[in-house]
Amino acid sequence: MTGPMDGAPDHKAGKGKNRPQGWLRFLKSMQFSFVLLFIIAAACVAGSVIPQGSPEAAYRQLYGDTWAKIIIELNLDHVFTCWWFVLLTALLCVNLILCSVSRFPAVLKAWKASGKKSIGMWGSWITHLGMLLLIISFAAGQYTSREETVYGIAGSTQPLGSTGLSVTIDSFDVSLREDNTVEQYTAGLTVSDASGNSKSGTASVNHPFDAFGYSFYQDSMGWATYVDIYKSGVQVKTDLICAGEYTFPNELPSLVLMFNKFYPDLARNEDGSYYSKTPLPDNPHALYSVYYDGSVLGMGLAAPGTSIDCNEYSFVMRDPCEYTLIVAKHDPLGWLVGVSAFVLLAGLFISFYVRPWEKKRTQNAE
Amino acid sequence: MQNNTLGNIESIGFMALLILYFAGSVLYFIYAGAKKEKAARAGYLLVFAGFIVHTLCIIARGVNAGRLPLTNQFEFASAFAWGIAICFLVFVKKFRFDALGMVVAPLIFLVAGYAFMQNREINSLMPALQSGWLGFHVCTAIIAYGGFGVAFGVALFFLLKGKLKGSLSERIPDEKTLDNIIYRAVSLGFLFLTLCMITGAIWAKRAWGSYWNWDPKETWSLITWIIYAIFLHLRLRGAVSGRKAAVLAVVGFVCVIFTYVGVNLLLPGLHSYA
Repeated sequence: MTGPMDGAPDHKAGKGKNRPQGWLRFLKSMQFSFVLLFIIAAACVAGSVIPQGSPEAAYRQLYGDTWAKIIIELNLDHVFTCWWFVLLTALLCVNLILCSVSRFPAVLKAWKASGKKSIGMWGSWITHLGMLLLIISFAAGQYTSREETVYGIAGSTQPLGSTGLSVTIDSFDVSLREDNTVEQYTAGLTVSDASGNSKSGTASVNHPFDAFGYSFYQDSMGWATYVDIYKSGVQVKTDLICAGEYTFPNELPSLVLMFNKFYPDLARNEDGSYYSKTPLPDNPHALYSVYYDGSVLGMGLAAPGTSIDCNEYSFVMRDPCEYTLIVAKHDPLGWLVGVSAFVLLAGLFISFYVRPWEKKRTQNAE
Repeated sequence: MQNNTLGNIESIGFMALLILYFAGSVLYFIYAGAKKEKAARAGYLLVFAGFIVHTLCIIARGVNAGRLPLTNQFEFASAFAWGIAICFLVFVKKFRFDALGMVVAPLIFLVAGYAFMQNREINSLMPALQSGWLGFHVCTAIIAYGGFGVAFGVALFFLLKGKLKGSLSERIPDEKTLDNIIYRAVSLGFLFLTLCMITGAIWAKRAWGSYWNWDPKETWSLITWIIYAIFLHLRLRGAVSGRKAAVLAVVGFVCVIFTYVGVNLLLPGLHSYA
């Protein structure tokens, strides 16, 4: 973002032998950066007001057919990952690179010419460099980072996607305060690689566990239940399902039991709706639905051990337990974001508080 | 276990600070209208006294809650008013611009009044908020918002200067000085807003595994940052008159208010507790 007061004494782009072409001058100009920043800010407004990542039907319901079509066509349903937003950010980087490169000789000359060689000369230049590094390192992180999730109850072992690692959830603890609010979620984990090497530790909120280049985050939790399926009184299957999941008899997949929601301590509001009085399993009930060939046969609340009968089949939910969802992230360039942020902050500080001509100017005004 | 005595001290203190900020605002209006220098000095002292009481209230709440009192709508609004107050007191002293109290003292009163209308119950911290980064992140936001609040007040004077007549007009510094004060306040706010966004990003990385999630609060902080970045470039470049820069300082503060109040009310996200 080149400009007369922008880090160095004015040097007019385009003068002399190395006169850049018009488009190059425009690409490095402050006017261009203003246009980009304005459009990016407008896109951010749209991205924060319009729900992101919803299905098309949701936009039709919210905004009507015409607006929904416009939203989808303009990619306003995924502003921050769409091609034109990426292009705007790339153009901003080009603008920052060109203006930084073109200003470098002038800043260097001014710095050499100044008797004390104050770092204040470099404030604005360092700020722009920091901003550029920040955008590039963040963008690079999007392409180089990797994310996997595993979820399960204590004692279960899951493969970590295609990483070759496996995660055993040794324990999962939800510590509650006296007033039953959650103090912390803590998962004890053991991560093993294909060679049999393993590392154990705990992951809690704000305290990820690092192993084999991955950071393991305690992301969320929910309730799971075992379901025994009987046919004419004979057990044919046992399954462990989490809230939101379903199970079915293997020989009759069209008969489905859906585990919708779990109330650890069921209570009823005055309006008849259900809620959980505490997070403790003092009066546990599961909200379920039974489907046959896609049609609802019935739904209701069942305490553990209650039999849900459908002709010759019956489902018994038992032993509800908490499961944890662990997110594993591998971000090899994460450190670069930190360095860039430091450069940006240093540049701003120098610009505002060390910069010699700005200091002189403001002191004169004062 | 919460201490009722400390709770009562905080409640009474909060009422007292509201009265002090309000009385300070009234005295600044008297100063502007009746040309009484003593009224400005008294106004400054009352806002200063309100600030001291406010500080004690925040300390009392922190001791009572056993944590930094910066985690819900009431606590942050209270800290927001405190941040504007400290920036106001420093800027008035530094630039000897008493008339600034006419705009900023009522602003402090309004933000503190907004805090007073919120639920003041002390709640336990949810796990995501139990981090050392909370203090850095919110304190930097307070200073940033305080700087922008002062810039907003001065920008209003800049925009109204030509329309004001009589004694009040004489009490407002010339446009060059006003422009300089706006710049100093915005540069303070901008530096701390950047720090706030960076500390928030580092915290988000620790809590959720990614620096940036395009949460509405994050997005609106970025929008605010962009507006002030444009302000700083325009001003440094000398491309616009001080008037346009002042308009941007006002627009920027509207974004600050929306980021704080509007986003919480209209655009829930990861920051829904704040």
